[in-house]
Amino acid sequence: MISLRGLTKRYGDTLAVDELTLDIEAGRVTGFLGPNGAGKSTTMRMILGLDHPTRGRALIAGRPYADLRRPLRVVGAMLDARAVHPARSGRTHLVAQARAGGIPVRRVDEVLETVGLTKAARRPAGTYSLGMSGRLGVAGALLGDPPVLVLDEPVNGLDPDGVRWIRRLVRERAAEGRTVFLSSHLMSEMQLTADHLVVVGRGRLLSDTPMTEFLAAASPASARAVVPDPGERATLVRRLMTADGVSVETSASGELTVEGRTAAEIGDLAHHCRVRLHRLSDVRVSLEQAYMELTARSVEYGAGGSAATDEGARQ
Amino acid sequence: MSTTTTPGRGAPGGFAGAIASEWTKLWSVRAPYLCVLAGLVITGVFTYYYASIARINDDPVQPVGNAAGSSAVLVQFAFVILATVAVTSEYSTGSVRASLLWVPRRHRVQAAKALVAAGVAFVAGAAFAVLGTAVAWAAFDGRATFESGQSLRQVLAIGLYQASVAVLTVGVAFATRHPAGALSILVTLLWALPSVLLGLGGPTLTDVNDHLPHGAGDRLMSIGADAPSTPVTAVTAVLIVAAWAATAHLIGLYVLRRRDA
Repeated sequence: MISLRGLTKRYGDTLAVDELTLDIEAGRVTGFLGPNGAGKSTTMRMILGLDHPTRGRALIAGRPYADLRRPLRVVGAMLDARAVHPARSGRTHLVAQARAGGIPVRRVDEVLETVGLTKAARRPAGTYSLGMSGRLGVAGALLGDPPVLVLDEPVNGLDPDGVRWIRRLVRERAAEGRTVFLSSHLMSEMQLTADHLVVVGRGRLLSDTPMTEFLAAASPASARAVVPDPGERATLVRRLMTADGVSVETSASGELTVEGRTAAEIGDLAHHCRVRLHRLSDVRVSLEQAYMELTARSVEYGAGGSAATDEGARQ
Repeated sequence: MSTTTTPGRGAPGGFAGAIASEWTKLWSVRAPYLCVLAGLVITGVFTYYYASIARINDDPVQPVGNAAGSSAVLVQFAFVILATVAVTSEYSTGSVRASLLWVPRRHRVQAAKALVAAGVAFVAGAAFAVLGTAVAWAAFDGRATFESGQSLRQVLAIGLYQASVAVLTVGVAFATRHPAGALSILVTLLWALPSVLLGLGGPTLTDVNDHLPHGAGDRLMSIGADAPSTPVTAVTAVLIVAAWAATAHLIGLYVLRRRDA
């Protein structure tokens, strides 16, 4: 388990991380979201002892990373997959890591096999594609078989197969009771991977909730229904509109979009009024929508409609 | 996890692991091989010319080890570059963050790097000195004396000097993080400043030079009429060289500990 207590990082006048207090629990995948410059990477670097907090503490299993007796056996981290000497082979990089951590060198070949890099293992890391570098980074994180994984953008540069592989991998680790903390910019991927979400904006904690609650809180229940008969459609709309907080839109093709009612409620009502339905489904809120709603007010650079453009310019 | 085995207790990790890791990293890139090769070539050429010129100029007879001792002024830069690159390449590639994740106690990372660089510099420096002495013996053609005890002392002094230069370099490189900054400081300290001081001459400037790393080191490595190597000055010289290395090491450690990686 990772605990942050009032974790704060100041660069000159800028508060990169502002009083972050939260627990990242074992046994689930915790996703870490936030706009660029929100302090995600700084937070991860402080957890791993690379950056010094201005105030507060980041503890892993109750200790600062630097005080862990065998850090590589406790935490597997992947921060920047490209941060490998380009002339060194992927395998030698891992051998150096194994030696530093007191891990048997045969374990290197095991993790290379696990991440599918065995063939390229003896090539200079500088010749690796972004996806291969990512796999090498994951191999390094898995080397010590640690109970805690901290991964910054692990799916960056991976092909669809690789993305699914990472998803399965971290979900398996969490199911084994390990702590998984990962950031990603791919919302759809995060929605499939994470059980729990930590969202930061301008260095502050905006949300620390289970994924399902995060999605549910973002917008009220809504559903779509197709009613083939125009008369019956009008009846259903009239009955739906009698309740407060329900709005109905009818598309040109006759499809109803109902906000404030779930598919189940509409189905019951339709059955009650003897209205025939051809299709009925809940509208699933995407994590992207929910996330955008939450962070719209805290995007650091630019405001409102220009936020996305500004963020693009910063990359 | 079903297909992987849980790692056993394995190697010790800790400081021994940090040293093993630095050793692996050092020899897995080309730079150190080139540095050692350059040191070898410089030693051969320098000692050959040193002895040949002494013979041609009909200089007074001197201990044969002086040729190798004098070559250290150039050969040291092979180890300066080796040790600089071992540190600064990690900053330029970002792999220093990996090193600090593997060994989060920062003093350990620096100490391991310094120890590995010093070990290489000692062994290679002493081996070069043996080779240089052999080359010089042939080129002196009788204008030098050989005494095994004295030559052995000179060879060891050269090895120790090069080891100290390596430690000094690792400290400076951790303080600057960039090869250009580290090399300008080291070239100034180990070559430019001594050249200026000795070029201008005079007892004061010579005395200052004797307190610089190479000036002090030279007292140990070369034995001449103008530099009588009494036990006191030898001990002082060792202390001066060690003090430079220790100071640079501590400055580097201060920066490494304070700054974010």
